Amino acid sequence: MFALLKRDLYLALYSSSSFFYTSSFFVLILIILPFLFGTNDVQLQILFKGIIWIGLSLSILLTMERIFNADYEDGNLDIILQQNPSIEIVIISKYITHWIVYCLPLFIVLPMLSFLFYVSLDNIFLIFLNLFFGSFGMVFIVTFVSALTLGAKRTIFLKAIIVIPLFIPFLIFGTNLESWPILLALSMMSFVLSMYVSAYGLRLYVE
Amino acid sequence: MNLRLTNKQINIIEKANPFLIVSTIVAFTFGLYFSLLQSPPDYIQGDSMRIMYIHVPSAWFALMAYTILAGSSVLWFITRNPIFSIIARSIAQIGMIFTLISLVTGSIWGKPTWGVWWVWDARLTSMLLLFFLYLAYIFLWQSITNKDLASKISAALAIVGFVNIPIIKFSVDWWNTLHQPATISKLSSPSIDISMMVPLFIMTLATFLFLVTVFFIRLRIEILDNKILRIREVK
Repeated sequence: MFALLKRDLYLALYSSSSFFYTSSFFVLILIILPFLFGTNDVQLQILFKGIIWIGLSLSILLTMERIFNADYEDGNLDIILQQNPSIEIVIISKYITHWIVYCLPLFIVLPMLSFLFYVSLDNIFLIFLNLFFGSFGMVFIVTFVSALTLGAKRTIFLKAIIVIPLFIPFLIFGTNLESWPILLALSMMSFVLSMYVSAYGLRLYVE
Repeated sequence: MNLRLTNKQINIIEKANPFLIVSTIVAFTFGLYFSLLQSPPDYIQGDSMRIMYIHVPSAWFALMAYTILAGSSVLWFITRNPIFSIIARSIAQIGMIFTLISLVTGSIWGKPTWGVWWVWDARLTSMLLLFFLYLAYIFLWQSITNKDLASKISAALAIVGFVNIPIIKFSVDWWNTLHQPATISKLSSPSIDISMMVPLFIMTLATFLFLVTVFFIRLRIEILDNKILRIREVK
């Protein structure tokens, strides 16, 4: 498991997406806001809570083809599944890699963004908690959809159509500041679902 | 494949088809006569209320179709009988169309009642999301070229979607109570008069017959498609 984690992290960080890339992506998504809606600070605070979820969803969703597709297409997935004793361990290590590479940068730049958008530090802590617990669930969902759609080639829009309705509960509860326990519960539920469904999907494609 | 699709199924469908078509037309004639001419107009909403006789049955059957879709996907997992995968596929398209009908008629009904084409009501939003769940299922099926694999994958997606429907419904309800003042809830009139109940019942029956007719036609097409696929595989 740790060998796989190390390999995936090295691959992710040395290839196209270093931490700087993903965190710049978040900052740029949020910098669009004042240009679109003006610099009224009350309005910006409201918009910030929503757009930060759009940034997180986009960064998880647009990169979902890197979870299994690259390995599947060059045949590495077969080797990975043969080397590891159980399929679940492979899936868990994929969760961890995807979360570290595409969600963690957001949490690093989040305190800085709170100054840009006049959000108070108390609120930013609650937003942080929401995003933290929600991001796990979103990674779980994206992983199982990616495992299911391995055979559908290069169809990021199809995957978006499948994923976005499943994201909606997270987004609804995410914009409310006190609802992090519900997000935690949603993440746990999607973990259970995701484990079964991704194992099922991977077994179908790699036989 | 443990169970084969036989010509017998197609024969039954072809025999049942004329009866179904005739009875659908008869039921719709009676239903439209009672709902458009015989029933009184609503004393608040006037004649615009009559669109309910299409709207309500199609919304019910849109939900029922997803239940059938999920149920036949589960049965497919248990028995691996290809007929369940075919049933799921044929009902998905019909369900999507019924969802669309209920959304469009609801919107047309909403214009004179609320003054706008769309309100962000909990039920409307959930139906819109249901439409996209259907769409995802159909698109996923179409995008995978290996059809054996596609039926396995889309069955899994149907079950995932079915598990998610209560979660989506719950969260949308919660969101709605947070953002929406309770002005729209007068739509859910608890008591319905018997003079409106009879046409609604006949129209429900007619819509159900229509659903069964279209479902059988789709089922026949899908079975034939499946046979063609098998023949190609053998060659």
